[in-house]
Amino acid sequence: MSALGVFSTANLNGGQKLGLKYLIVSLALFGAQILFGLLAGLQFLMPDFLFGVVDFSVNRTLHVNALVVWLLYGFIGGVYFMLEDEAKHPVVGLGLGNLIFWVLTAAVVVVVLVYLLVQVGPGEMSTIWFINEGREYIEAPRWADIGIVVSMLVFFFNVVATFSKGRYTGIAGVLVLDLMALAGLYLAGMTYTPNISMDQFWWWWVIHLWVEATWEVLVGCIMAYMLIETMGVRRKIVETWLYIEVALMFGSGILGLGHHYFWIGTPEYWLTIGGFFSALEPVPLVAMVVHALFDSGVHRMKNSNHPALGWTISQAAGNFFGAGVFGFMHTLPQINLYTHGTQWSASHGHLAFFGAYSTAVIGFFYLAAQKSRGNVWMSGNLPGNGWKWKWGMALLWIGMIGMTMALLIAGYEQSQIERAIEGSTWMGYFAAQGHPWFTQAMNWRQISGYGFLLGYVLLVWDLLTIGKGETRPAEVINSEAH
Amino acid sequence: MIVEPVALANFFTVFFSAAMVILTGATYALLFAYSRLRQRPRLMPLAYLAYFGLSVSVYTLAQAANLFNDTFWTFIVGLMLLGYFVAPHGVWHLCVATHDQESVDGHKPHDEGNPSFVRS
Repeated sequence: MSALGVFSTANLNGGQKLGLKYLIVSLALFGAQILFGLLAGLQFLMPDFLFGVVDFSVNRTLHVNALVVWLLYGFIGGVYFMLEDEAKHPVVGLGLGNLIFWVLTAAVVVVVLVYLLVQVGPGEMSTIWFINEGREYIEAPRWADIGIVVSMLVFFFNVVATFSKGRYTGIAGVLVLDLMALAGLYLAGMTYTPNISMDQFWWWWVIHLWVEATWEVLVGCIMAYMLIETMGVRRKIVETWLYIEVALMFGSGILGLGHHYFWIGTPEYWLTIGGFFSALEPVPLVAMVVHALFDSGVHRMKNSNHPALGWTISQAAGNFFGAGVFGFMHTLPQINLYTHGTQWSASHGHLAFFGAYSTAVIGFFYLAAQKSRGNVWMSGNLPGNGWKWKWGMALLWIGMIGMTMALLIAGYEQSQIERAIEGSTWMGYFAAQGHPWFTQAMNWRQISGYGFLLGYVLLVWDLLTIGKGETRPAEVINSEAH
Repeated sequence: MIVEPVALANFFTVFFSAAMVILTGATYALLFAYSRLRQRPRLMPLAYLAYFGLSVSVYTLAQAANLFNDTFWTFIVGLMLLGYFVAPHGVWHLCVATHDQESVDGHKPHDEGNPSFVRS
């Protein structure tokens, strides 16, 4: 181990070294997501901007694909980072895990280059395999899909084999089951059918069930580890609540899939299923307010990593507002008929993804930064009173709230003018797009996006410098935590 | 089951009342838990006042979204009211039980904020 306050991979175990690589790429891809989002946003305001160079469709694809991939890299990085600590055993098959990291990262680069270099052309079976599969969020061509599944299987092998040879904890049990679903569900998005309803039916299995089932559980496992590490919460309590939350999430989340099936040509009973679960899905989320307050009363927020805890708290709040409030506002079919696929969805999507997932991964970035510098002090009394992480977090949140509210206004206008008044006609679409409420909202969205970018720059600067030269070791919160 | 679309004039009412369902639900849960955690029974009526606000929001949403025009949707409204009412109670019991187990195991949370003495 090198000196305190000095960045060195010698401070990390094998799994953490591999995890750190994933987290670094994740942070870079987060930046790419913001960059392409800003370019796409500018094209809403200036449709000719970069037309024929990087078209809106390509910017949007890169924006949403980068979202999926940076979060996935963050989750994988988080799991590798905690794996040896959790299993009390070196990662089994670490060499293979490292090889797959480089292969997967090279594949991501190739896919992005192909998106940029081949922007228009015929849609044929060969393009599905080599250029673009055409399904939003998972546009990656078939060869990359297969690569993603193989990578997930290797990741799964690393995790299962390590836990099998080492300690098998409650977190391990949940994680292993979840990773099986993570690899398996992705297969549902790889079938080809010319029937758009059937295509959408399976596509949602990846989009909804990945996000509202496997990712939620992954985040639950990562957050469980973070609570043990940074707050010294006892393992038994964390694991009990992990089981409870997984059960609640599966109970309400899986068939919440129904609200995506409302208007895509599926049988009418999906309105019943979707309506039922849409109405009741927020109940566990609201009830968990009790748990959050109870735990904060017990632990009084004593912790060894202020930035990580700050982001953890903002995760709870962001998830509540993004998924709960902004989701329920437009999820009943009686209103969703008008809001589905408008900027309402984008508003909900921005806040929910950032609130539920981005915050958790950013929290883990700080945990990794702390360990990479020899597990240095990151509690109170940080140099400069920790202004960089605080302002970084504030700007990211202000930017996100600004974008969310602007999109909300745009979506409200769209749902009224395009959908309700104009009856979803082509003319209605353009009437809504040209309306002053819409264009003003797009301007505010763009301005908020610049604020978000500034927050990202501060975040990166802080992650590169926090703990540098720090000579105090991390505060010991609870030595019995493991 | 009938899905009767919301009238244009009721759009805002639906959005606002739906948001209020979640926010008053959270306020109810927050006050309920705080009252018990800090043993301040005077706050409990405020918790139930928040639940009353939730009930009003659910009713307003149901009216604006035409939920009372169909038996299935009326049943859903009832389930929502029941679910939001009992869920904080259930989670509270789980919290107390898990922390009680911690005491049985011979461990105590590491500061004076331990509310394991609290009983529902």
